[in-house]
Amino acid sequence: MPSVTFEHVTKRFGDATVIEDFDLQVADGELLVLVGGSGSGKSTILRMLAGLETVTSGRIRIDDRDVTDLAPRDRDVAMVFQDYGLYPHMTVRDNLSLGLRLRKIPRHEIDRRVAWAAGMLGLEPLLDRKPKQLSGGQRQRVAMGRAMVREPKVFLFDEPLSNLDAGLRAQMRIEIGGLQRRLKTTTIYVTHDQVEAMTLGDRIVVLADGRIQQIGRPIDLYRAPINRFVAGFIGTPPMNFVEGTLRESIGQAVFITEGMSIGVPREKTLTANPTQSLTLGIRPEDLRVESSAAQSVDDGSSAGVLRGRVVLVERLGGTSHVHFDVAGGGSRMMASVSNDRLPSVGETIVVRVPPERVHLFGADGRAIGRTAEIV
Amino acid sequence: MKLLRRIALYAGLTVAAITFIYPFLWMASSTFKPPVEVGSLALIPHDFTLDNYRTMWARAPFGRALVNSTFVATTITLAVLVFGSMTAYAMARLNFRGRPALNAATIAVLMVPGQLTLIPLYTLIVQLGWVDTYAALIVPYLFNATAILMLRQFFLQIPQSLIDSARMDGMSEPRILFTIFWPLSKPVLSIVAIFTFMGAWNEVLWPLLVVREQNLMTLPQLLTVFALGGGAGSVGVSLASAMVLVVPVVAAYAFLQRNFIESMAGSGIKG
Repeated sequence: MPSVTFEHVTKRFGDATVIEDFDLQVADGELLVLVGGSGSGKSTILRMLAGLETVTSGRIRIDDRDVTDLAPRDRDVAMVFQDYGLYPHMTVRDNLSLGLRLRKIPRHEIDRRVAWAAGMLGLEPLLDRKPKQLSGGQRQRVAMGRAMVREPKVFLFDEPLSNLDAGLRAQMRIEIGGLQRRLKTTTIYVTHDQVEAMTLGDRIVVLADGRIQQIGRPIDLYRAPINRFVAGFIGTPPMNFVEGTLRESIGQAVFITEGMSIGVPREKTLTANPTQSLTLGIRPEDLRVESSAAQSVDDGSSAGVLRGRVVLVERLGGTSHVHFDVAGGGSRMMASVSNDRLPSVGETIVVRVPPERVHLFGADGRAIGRTAEIV
Repeated sequence: MKLLRRIALYAGLTVAAITFIYPFLWMASSTFKPPVEVGSLALIPHDFTLDNYRTMWARAPFGRALVNSTFVATTITLAVLVFGSMTAYAMARLNFRGRPALNAATIAVLMVPGQLTLIPLYTLIVQLGWVDTYAALIVPYLFNATAILMLRQFFLQIPQSLIDSARMDGMSEPRILFTIFWPLSKPVLSIVAIFTFMGAWNEVLWPLLVVREQNLMTLPQLLTVFALGGGAGSVGVSLASAMVLVVPVVAAYAFLQRNFIESMAGSGIKG
């Protein structure tokens, strides 16, 4: 039985439709990540589930109970907010226990749960402090503790890490993931950060303009994005895109654009119309950069190989990002390269494009040759 | 050189401070002077006496007026804080049809001078049969547009996530207002309380219109009737009655001063 179900949920603010016909089932104990840019409607979905926003049409169920019209306190969900939402005038202990006291839970049970959550999150020494005496990470833990003591059916996280600095964010991400695996509570996690989505989610829902773009396991979204938006959104650094056309050449499908032609496997072109303009996508980490000196490439336009002039090298430590202009064409691409053989700026490089790693998208942005994973 | 400048600075400040404080101290000390001494500028009475207060107390019901004023001003202040913050909360944080119109109407009310509504309000009170009642003194002041707008402005700065958290924790809207917003709004609540209390305490014109019964008169009203009506008889007695009027306001200010200054300094929520 799914833990959370959205059925044809639509949300309008005045004339603006923020969420359109949203359908989703979240399995019991699952950590589902809603990811999308600002204005994609991800927070609105969470707030509707929490009861903080009304639903224009459609139903929301938790377990088998219709909660669409229930007040937030009657839904058995707990939420962690981006700016934590801690009561500044109350101690950590009071912040943790207030929701339980309002629900008239017996004193000893409140004490037990507060002690349990404080122990799990390492908050014991801080229980008598006020929020402003805590660091960002500690406040974040208190906010999580407040959700935990409620022992809700569903946890909701609304961009919980975006107010933290990078190091702390990575640490808290691991903590949240670990906590969720231990508690096995159904969790819906909203973020705009695709790294958080990839690392935390059992499944990811990619949203744009209030519509689901794709649902799937992180690795599936990475390997087989259903459209150009998902392809560009999931994965860092982002995928390279090149516009071009598809031709038939010696029994093989070839993607052609200025400065390069790449043979693509048959199965990726099944639904493509030969004359239509297409977009080819290739992830920076899938490009193979070969220094021109080491290569005696006879022809830069031969299938699957292209030449480029390096315009920028970003050194990240373990790997580097090499930005280059494709020779004979205007497109700029980027390759992720290990640091062993870094080209220098101005150098001409040879880049191999493995055909099996190529993604093709039609003019409407949909992936070509992939129909199975359609939402 | 540095020392000289410092001395000059302090001398200047002392003169300025004396300019402000002297008249008040003179008034306070003169209430303890016998009639022959009142004309003197000295701050310490030569012949200390409480006669002025005794005379004042004997000639008019100042004790009763003090109780009346305290009751009226306190009731008005509490009502303005409670109703004002409820209205402000709704206007700042709840979504409902007609909210922009309500905001505009509240601002519009500020633009109507009090003198303009004096006569219609008086007629209304007469129609209601409230002349010579506490209701006439209190009811017209229960809601205050300035207070609503000040509170609304402050409430707008309180993070939405606090309201969301409180709703998830199971609080009703009034509870959010009184247990979350109030503790966070102490500075603005204090300033509204002081202004409202002082306004209500010092009001003379309205009580003069709707109350003729001496036992219902407020302190400034009685004082006006007493001093202007020639009941005081001497400057010392007049000043003594003025002291009775001003002391509670000074006390209230001293009590809330810290919050007052904090609010004037425009501090919001910390941390």
